[in-house]
This record gives sequence, structure tokens and C-alpha cells, in this order.
Amino acid sequence: MTNALTWASWLLASLAILLSTRNPLLLSLILILLLTLGTRMTEPGSRKRWLGQNLSFIGTMIFLSSLINFIFTHSGNSELFTLPQSWFLIGGPFTLESLVYGTINGLVISSLYLTFAILNKALSVEQLTRLIPTAFYPLTLITTISLTFFPSIQERTAQIKEAQMIRGNPMKKLSDWLPILIPLMVTSLENAVQLSESMTARGFQTHTEDQKSPKGLVLLILSTFLVFSGWILSLFSYPSWTSWSLYLIAFLGIALLFIALSRKVKIVHLHKDRWTTADIAAALLFLLISLLMVSLIISQKTAFLTYDPYPTLKFPSLPLTALLLGLVPGAPLLFNLSHDRH
Amino acid sequence: MKSKIQSLIVNSFVFLLGFLSLLAPFVVPQARDASFSSTSFPVMVSLIIILCVLIILFEAQATVLNTKLIAFLGILIALNAGLRFLETAIPGPAGFSPVFFLIIMTGYFFGGRLGFLMGAMTMLVSGLITGGVGPWLPGQMITAGWVGQSAGLLKPLLKRWRIPGKPSEVIILAFFSAFWGMLYGAIMNLWFWPFLGAAPGQTWFQGATLAENIGRYATYYLATSVVWDVTRSIGNILIVTFLTRPVLRIFTRFNQRFSFHVNPKGGQQ
Repeated sequence: MTNALTWASWLLASLAILLSTRNPLLLSLILILLLTLGTRMTEPGSRKRWLGQNLSFIGTMIFLSSLINFIFTHSGNSELFTLPQSWFLIGGPFTLESLVYGTINGLVISSLYLTFAILNKALSVEQLTRLIPTAFYPLTLITTISLTFFPSIQERTAQIKEAQMIRGNPMKKLSDWLPILIPLMVTSLENAVQLSESMTARGFQTHTEDQKSPKGLVLLILSTFLVFSGWILSLFSYPSWTSWSLYLIAFLGIALLFIALSRKVKIVHLHKDRWTTADIAAALLFLLISLLMVSLIISQKTAFLTYDPYPTLKFPSLPLTALLLGLVPGAPLLFNLSHDRH
Repeated sequence: MKSKIQSLIVNSFVFLLGFLSLLAPFVVPQARDASFSSTSFPVMVSLIIILCVLIILFEAQATVLNTKLIAFLGILIALNAGLRFLETAIPGPAGFSPVFFLIIMTGYFFGGRLGFLMGAMTMLVSGLITGGVGPWLPGQMITAGWVGQSAGLLKPLLKRWRIPGKPSEVIILAFFSAFWGMLYGAIMNLWFWPFLGAAPGQTWFQGATLAENIGRYATYYLATSVVWDVTRSIGNILIVTFLTRPVLRIFTRFNQRFSFHVNPKGGQQ
């Protein structure tokens, strides 16, 4: 499983599941699977360090989230102790339910963080850059230039720093860094002048007449407004189909705009992502699960995923369907990952 | 002129929509329902913010971007992303970040549109380099974009008061950077805050008034972020004070170097 779009569909399915559940058992299962996946994708020599760093982040996140909810939320029946009501914001009963709810929030945030950490691990910078829509190719070009020049700027920084230290610059105060930043900026901007002259000489053109036309911009603005309106309607308890219809129209508008604009641009790919059988199978699986999740959310049939510790704390149950969905974020473990060769 | 009016309308729309989305729990009582906000709020706000960023980028790439600016921004963003790595080398406490300095300088010297591009793209590129791509990235991009965009508003104001070139220019820029050092953290927390919602139906902010909600947010902000943001503000003041003059001189010099114009049909310009 190496294709960027397969990983993007994995992200979509995992996020849809993660954001639909508050069940601590399911969230713990997802977190364990994500930690296992991340560890497998790390080089053998660095696995212990990766796991240690992430466990300490998860621990801190859960602790802070539990603490904040425990201090500021005074709901629930299982009272542990009470502070005087007159104490601004923190006054009132401190309950076990609010502590558990905070812990659940910490589990969600940690899982979200790990999901993106794994995506960053799975895809190279080039693969991530290629996910930027073709319609935004001038911005992709800026990103590519930055990523290409970044190592040489780092190298130049080290060289200038070394030269300054030989001259006796102690590099201790902020002002000591001025003799580094100024030559670094001047030499870098000289590179920019040379690059822009080369691009101009080779006839590089940034925008076509179609892109200058405000039609695309108007369509993008209207689509954004439709998404915003759909969200506001859902807040005011309008039937969910009205919001989802607006989201669908907006999505179609944006998709059509991107397709139309990308057809006007001719881009030569020196390296294309390969689609292996495993990639195709995995992408189809994750897309199907994403569609299933969206249909469950629209039809408001996600009760089997929810858990509420209020008003009185009870032990959560884990139905089989929820358990199966919880295994999805860990599904890449079944495939041959490119990182296994490390 | 037409391009400027278009830009003004687009940016005002985006600012309004982006801010309204982030401030929804304060102004729309229905958005304070934790059962709703804790799950869909971060998703919807992230989605709307991604679309807002796309609108500004789309508008900018169709109007202001040419080969010179692409090369200029590409290199300057690489430099700024490199400054993020210097955070560990430059002596400074947690929260200290030199990344806002070049964003403010670019916006101040070259105008709001380039300032926005510089801010948003710096966050994107440094996110790609450091493995920091995540749900927080759209929020970081739009907020850093606003830092650069608002710096573009300073230049005409200071010009009207004939301040550029005087010591007060650096002082005003230092205060401006300190202000954004705090505001950046406060805006980023807005995305995250409703995630920490409480009991459905009895939430700690559903039944509360606007003033109470602001009070609760202030407490949360004081408890979790203020030390970090104060350090960033102090760092910004120091960097702007030491580096503004030489960097503005470099920008003036390269602004002249970048002033060449090519007529595709040939002939003299």
C-alpha cells in the first residue's frame, strides 16, 4: 500500500469513524491499532523512540483534557467533592462523569493526531505535494521551489554559521544571528532573481485567460457559501437532507471547477504513483467504508457508536458492527507497506 | 483598480465567513450544543476554512502571481520554513518563534495579498517539511495569512503619517508583531476549544450568556496558552526591533532587481 490516493481514502474513512464515536472502548482499540501501525512504519532502530514520544504526547493530551473538563464542567451525578459556588467558573460539584468525558476527548484528540502522524509517515513530501489540485499549479510550483531550495538554504546557514564562529561570533544572543540572517537572505534572493529570469526566458506562463476570468472565483465563493449555509441550517435543526443537499451541490461545483481548470494545464509527470492490486483493493475498501459512514451520519443511525457518561456513569458496550468499524484505521497492517523494507 | 476592488470584496467575504465560523459558539446559541459541537464543529470549521483559504489563493494566483513572484515567494518561504528549525538553535524559551517576522515584513513591504500568500504558504511548506500536516493546518494557514495581510494595511497608514524611515516605524511594527503573537494563539484555540465540550444538554456553555462564554474562554486561554503566547510576543518584539531595518533595506534593493518586465510580443517597453 504505497499510493497517495489510497492513503488519502484511508484518512477519510478513519476520520469519519473517529469523529462519529465517543465510545472509550472503541477509541482505545483505534489508538492501539494506530500505535501498532505507526511503530511498524518506523525504521527498526527508531521504533522505541517513536513509541515513547507518542505515548508521552498521548498521556499529556489525555491528562490535560481530563483536567480541563473536570475543573470547568460541573455536570453528572457521581459527585467527588464540591467547591463553593461563589468561586468564579470553577465553583460547583466535581464529578466522575466530567472526568471520564474529558478522558474521552483526550482519546479522540490523540487518535486524530496519530492518524495524521501516520499519514505524514506513509507519504513522501513529493506525494503530499502532488495531492494539491492541478488547478492550483502556481502554488504547487511555489511549494516545489521551497522544498527544493530548503536543503541548500539549510546547508548555507550551517556554512555561514561556521564562518561566523571562526571569526569569534559566540552565537549566544539574538543580535549575534544578524550576520547569519542578512547574508543568507541576500544569497537566497539572488537565487530567486536567477530563477525568475530563467523561468521568464523559458516562457513560463502562470495563468491562462480562463483563470483570469472571475467565473471560477464566483463559483468557488458560491460553493463555500453553500457549505456555510448548510452548516447553519443544521445548527437550527432543519431536516438533515437540506444541509446535505447544499453540501452535495457545493462539492459538485468545486469538483467541476477543478476538473475544468486542470484540463487547461499541461503538466508532465516525471514520476507517477503506481497503482498495485493491493492499492486498488484498499482504496475501494476505504471509499466504501467512507460512503457507509456518510450514509449512516445522514440517516442519523450512528447511535451504536455513541457513548455518553452523563448523567450517571455506566460501563460502555461494544456492538460487533462498532468493533468491525474500529478495526478499519488499523487495516493497512494487513497490507505490505513500503516501509517494511527498512 | 478593478483587481483591487475584486480583491477587497473577496477578502472581506473570506474574513467574515472565516471569523463567523470560528466565533459561532459565541454568537449562535445552537452551536453551543456540545453533542453537536464536539463532533461536527471542528470538521465543519476546518472545511469552511480550507475553502476560504482556497478562495484567497485562487484569487491571488489569477491576479498577482507571475514568474518573478513565484520565484521570490518560493525562496522566501523556504527561508522562513528554515527559520522554524532555528527555533531550537536561537536562544529562547518555549513559544518563541521567528517565523512571523518575515511574514509581517513581506506583508508590510509588498502588500496584503503577498503577505497572505507568504503566511499561508509558509505554514503549508513547513508543515510538509516537519510532518505537521493535520487538521490544525488550515487554521494555521488562514491565521498566518491574516498576519501578513493585516501588515499590508499598516504601510498606507504609516505613509499618511510620514512615519516610514523614522524610529517610530520599528516601534509600531514591534507592537503590531506583539499583538499578533497573542492573537494568533487566541484564534488557533477557537478551533480547538469547542472540542473540549461537556455534557450534552447540560454543557458548560450552552445555557451561558455571551459574556459568560467569553469569560470561560478567557479562563481556558489563561490556563492553557497565555504563557506560550506572551513568550511569542516578546520574541516577536525582539526580532522586529533588531532585524526590521536591515531586512527592509534588502527588500528595497531586491524590489528594484525584480522590476524587469518582459513583453511577450517583443519590442521595447
